[in-house]
Amino acid sequence: MEHKKSAKIILQARGLSKHYGGVVALDAVDLDLHEGEVLAIVGDNGAGKSTLVKALTGAIAKTSGTIMIDGREIRIDSPADAKAAGMETVYQDLALVNEISITKNMFLGREIVKDNLLGKLFGTLDFPKMDAKIQVLFKKLDIRITDIYRDAEAFSGGQRQAVALAKTVMFGKRIAILDEPTAALGVRESKMAMDLVCSLKDHGLSVIMITHNMQHVLNHCDRVIVMRLGKVAAVCDVADVDGDMLVGLITGTIDKKVESKC
Amino acid sequence: MLNQKSSEFVAVPQAKTNGWEILRYQFMQIWQVLAALLIIYAVFFILSPAFRNVDTLLSIFSQGAILAVLACGTTVVLISGGLDLSVGSIFAVVGVVVGVLIKEYQLAYPLAILGALAAGTCLGALNGVIQVVTKVPAFIVTLGGLTAYKGLAELLGSGKDLSRFPEGFQMLGSGYLAPICIMVGAAVLTGLFLTKTRLGNHAFAIGGNEEVARLSGVKVARSRIYYYMIGGMFAATAAILEVSKLNFAQSSRGVSYELFAIAAVVIGGTSLFGGRGSVGKTIIGMMIMQTIIVGLAYLGVGTSFQRIAIGTIIILAVYWDVWRRQPR
Ligand SMILES: Nc1ncnc2c1ncn2[C@@H]1O[C@H](COP(=O)(O)OP(=O)(O)OP(=O)(O)O)[C@@H](O)[C@H]1O
Ligand SMILES: [Mg+2]
Repeated sequence: MEHKKSAKIILQARGLSKHYGGVVALDAVDLDLHEGEVLAIVGDNGAGKSTLVKALTGAIAKTSGTIMIDGREIRIDSPADAKAAGMETVYQDLALVNEISITKNMFLGREIVKDNLLGKLFGTLDFPKMDAKIQVLFKKLDIRITDIYRDAEAFSGGQRQAVALAKTVMFGKRIAILDEPTAALGVRESKMAMDLVCSLKDHGLSVIMITHNMQHVLNHCDRVIVMRLGKVAAVCDVADVDGDMLVGLITGTIDKKVESKC
Repeated sequence: MLNQKSSEFVAVPQAKTNGWEILRYQFMQIWQVLAALLIIYAVFFILSPAFRNVDTLLSIFSQGAILAVLACGTTVVLISGGLDLSVGSIFAVVGVVVGVLIKEYQLAYPLAILGALAAGTCLGALNGVIQVVTKVPAFIVTLGGLTAYKGLAELLGSGKDLSRFPEGFQMLGSGYLAPICIMVGAAVLTGLFLTKTRLGNHAFAIGGNEEVARLSGVKVARSRIYYYMIGGMFAATAAILEVSKLNFAQSSRGVSYELFAIAAVVIGGTSLFGGRGSVGKTIIGMMIMQTIIVGLAYLGVGTSFQRIAIGTIIILAVYWDVWRRQPR
């Protein structure tokens, strides 16, 4: 992957912490996201990856820490704040509502209201317009789901993940954050999902991706943050690491001193 | 990377979107409850000769109409994953309020109706606000409301003769036609709200998965308050209809109405667990219940056994909902 060392930093977090009572799920984490890169976050189960993403995007109230976009500090207290700042997130296991259709899921919280008096007064929805937008987007992304009127429940894990990723393409203004986009997917679905992740990059978004798949990190990402026990254990250019080394960093058999050459 | 396109995402059959297909789809959604209604009606039709006339049918509809209006609001609240046990008591308060406004304050009845609707909506809002602010579960908050609003109704209505209302007001709930028309109107409005508007669609999302809805930027707390307001407003509408029909108001009315409404919603097939349902099903569910009540009465079964029957049906309906949701 090409990597622009000089790219400017679009998103910056400093000293991000999250305590659950006595449990420190996230401990003074710093994170930089460069413009146009795909940044991987790896780490064992319970390392705090999802917590980091949630604290970053206002899904949970952080205990402390600051977030900057384009070098300017901003308040992110709710998912809506993050969206307004141009961040679009696919949360782990919390991407779609099973009980509503694909169209309604895609536009949930950002429905298109009819451009007439009824729309203004009662918020009546413009389903034909939303359906049309989705069809155009799915065609562009080669997502072959035509039955967008059916409840999300009726679709396979791969299809559901594709829909969640398409949502970030449709609404993501600058930053896409994906929590395990290929979790529980088969080999083929997994590849399709990774193609979508790359298309996010092609669409000009900067991407943060949590994954347990080292191959995906090595093949598709520019930099990687390794987390261990709520802390950042290492930050590396993907070009400087291999799979064994990543595994060593994740499990802690390679410690910080070795990592410092990254 | 995008060029190596693959066909991993196997398409499901293309949906047809013309009017006929949509009608067919909607029929597929309700045919089971509709069939159940027809079968139950047929059973009583066969068993009881007195049951076999149009008047009986009309009285089933008109008696069911008032509770069905109440149940429209309950449908919205249950779809959003909420629960309102206090609507029976809101019903009592509003009945007294409309009576007091007309008889004591000599208000013109259209104004009294508006005032009563506002009172019901406010009590509903209170249910919602308390839940959202305190995070106390709906069951407890509205159980408290059930008792507290009942007390409020008694305070407002005690020792007052609230009867013999103006003729125009009496028209609303009397006879067959007016209540049935109002029920149909309430159902159509609720149906349009749930399927066409943003707030209505959010009820399904919040009831389906509140956390996903919140993360998607839906204003969950605010929406919830609105749903309880709608529940209160329909309880008020039903109360006004009943006061008009009986031509008197009393704080003792409305007892267990919340349970009848929940029963109708669940019998109709709206999930008690939120996220699924429709108001059409609720109307059919209410008619099923009324048919059973009226039918049993015609067969000479006393009210005690009627209650046992209804209680049993509620449990069976929820059991069916649970059973349907289990992966098989
Ligand atoms: N709501 C909560 N209350 C208490 N502790 C929590 C809560 N959420 C997460 N934790 C704890 O925080 C730690 C980090 O959890 P997190 O979900 O961020 O891990 P993760 O790195 O995403 O793991 P996985 O790879 O399994 O998704 C865990 O020890 C977890 O038990
Ligand atoms: Mg996680």
